[in-house]
Amino acid sequence: MRAERLFRILGLVDESLIEEAVSASSPAAVQRRHPWGRLLAAAACLAVICGGVFLTSTFRMGGSTGEADGGAMPGESGDGHNGSTTFMSYAGPVFPLTTAETVTGLTAERTVTWDFAPGTYQDGSPRQWGAQVTDDYVLTNPTEADVTVTALYAFAGSLADLGTIAPAAAVGGAGVEATLYAGPYAGGFRDAGVDDGSTWNLAPPASWEDYAALLENGGYLSQALGAAPVLDIPVTVYRFSDFQAPHEEYDAATQAVEFTIDPEQTTILSYGFNGLSLDDETGWRRYDYFVPDGMRAESELKLLVVLGEDIGDYTLQGYANGACEEAIGGVTCTVTRQEATLDAVLTELCQAELHGSSQSSQWPGLDQLPLPLYQRAVAESLLASGLLADTPADRYTDGRLDDFLWDVLVQERVLYLAFPVTVPAGGSVTVSASLWKEPSYDYGCSGSENVGLQGYDLVTALGSTLDFTGQTAALVNTDTIEIVRQNLGFDLENGVTEVALDLAEPRCYLEIRPLDG
Amino acid sequence: MEDAEIIDLYWARDQRAIDETHGKYGGFLTNIAWNILRSHGDAEECVNDTYLRTWNAIPPARPSAFRAWLGRIVRNLSLDRWKQSRAARRGGDGMEVLLGELDDCVPAPHGTEKALEDQEIASLISDFLRRQTVENRIIFLRRYWYGQSVADIAAELRCGEGKVKSSLFRTRRALRSYLEQEEVLL
Repeated sequence: MRAERLFRILGLVDESLIEEAVSASSPAAVQRRHPWGRLLAAAACLAVICGGVFLTSTFRMGGSTGEADGGAMPGESGDGHNGSTTFMSYAGPVFPLTTAETVTGLTAERTVTWDFAPGTYQDGSPRQWGAQVTDDYVLTNPTEADVTVTALYAFAGSLADLGTIAPAAAVGGAGVEATLYAGPYAGGFRDAGVDDGSTWNLAPPASWEDYAALLENGGYLSQALGAAPVLDIPVTVYRFSDFQAPHEEYDAATQAVEFTIDPEQTTILSYGFNGLSLDDETGWRRYDYFVPDGMRAESELKLLVVLGEDIGDYTLQGYANGACEEAIGGVTCTVTRQEATLDAVLTELCQAELHGSSQSSQWPGLDQLPLPLYQRAVAESLLASGLLADTPADRYTDGRLDDFLWDVLVQERVLYLAFPVTVPAGGSVTVSASLWKEPSYDYGCSGSENVGLQGYDLVTALGSTLDFTGQTAALVNTDTIEIVRQNLGFDLENGVTEVALDLAEPRCYLEIRPLDG
Repeated sequence: MEDAEIIDLYWARDQRAIDETHGKYGGFLTNIAWNILRSHGDAEECVNDTYLRTWNAIPPARPSAFRAWLGRIVRNLSLDRWKQSRAARRGGDGMEVLLGELDDCVPAPHGTEKALEDQEIASLISDFLRRQTVENRIIFLRRYWYGQSVADIAAELRCGEGKVKSSLFRTRRALRSYLEQEEVLL
């Protein structure tokens, strides 16, 4: 059996790779609050904004679309510019408050506080990972009329991480219900290790400059707040169900469906399939899946979505395993054909991803992610880099929606909390955002000299309409950390834990190391 | 105890070597055996056999990466045990699924392939893995070297099963393409 020989051969791969694999683990998850209650209200608001229109994957993937000057290659660590570190995993900066209105007449004083009190990990031990950030503003209205604005608080992260990263907003000391908006994927794509210009891997933003390039001209925010794309494209859906296979005899029994298409006229998207074989010259396609046995955590939702010309005749064949070489009998299913629109199909699949998969147990609160927000992000990504794009990323050319839908969940983006603020004539109002901020870091298995460092960035004006008269940064609960690099001016030994920021400096950085690490 | 000190105990024919190995790596080895065999009794026997093999192999061997070295032994012993149990039609379904997945990586024969020794192919695969992202190769080796379940990998790496499955899917496909390019015959 050739797979068995391959399994034995894999036992001989380089020992350093084996050590790397067994040593790797992502930082233990800190027990954090899950601010979904606020976001549910946000979902309702977003649905209204979208006007009822149907809206349509440890470990971060290291990468960059534009490294910092003197920075490292994507996914690599190195010295950044201005003395800071370019981390393998970049968490994005803390952004300043802004408003939907371009001119407000308001002035603002800002105080950002990083609280490094250790969190409690799943194993019950307190350790330092990340920081609780409080971003406070005093908005002042020097005019003689009340000013009401839509405040926007931007934060970097993924939809899958919302359960732990979403800020809590307060106005005048009272919590507010905020509407949540999500901008498109903030990164790009890169090759798979061979410099061939291909786009197989995700390349998330790797530096604050990447975010600056996104936000500077306002286009990113406009897209986030604008109307969602409509994907009312007619499609033909082949739905596979009622699975039967001789599981007693074949643990990996596989169902395959074969047909031939004209690739110029037909595009196939799949969901729930494990394998695809194809011949572009003849248009032959074979999609296959492990027949659900009620034991493996495989999705039982299995669809082929045909865009363009229908596939016509197809044949079904059972196989002993995913190699699809040893044909066997007794593998059956029911195939139903239906006509629908792409957005209707994507609605079903997005719901399946959020509620029907095993992801939710791994990602706290994923099953409460607002569906319209997710659908919108999927639609935008399909048009930007999926099979509906003018030039799809190589990563998505197989049309495998399982991968695509998951990528949309984990891709880094800028999200916005929107809430109204009224500042009385000649008066002031406090606005506050409180959030848990993951640090930038180097992978523990990388051997980098920066393993153990935690990087925190702050941008002073990027994307903000506010007229800042002053900004202050502060640290609290610093007993368990040491500062390794910074451009802020803190001096823990001498008790300097609060500093005024130079507003001419667009970005401030702070790199700390836990003393227990 | 450092690995070098444990190995010194083997060289000194001191039976504490096995105790120390068991204390330090017993869980690691049992996990590999369990991942392949899904039988506690069989896994325990394979781990004990691993200690015996190690006792007989050191000296003259002085492995530089002791953990991986032990892992290889228990992995091969477990695979042998799995084949026996499969013949007897009991257990082993986790391995069947795993090998079914690995079939995706087996290059299609075209008639010009080179018959390479296992170690040469392993070197090629090592080169291939180094060209993958760190994340993808760690996921791949956790699945196909350690035999971990997708759910366990996802839990330990704090990512979703979909992420793990899609990573495996892509790496398997890329490995198959790579082995075909290298004209490797399996």
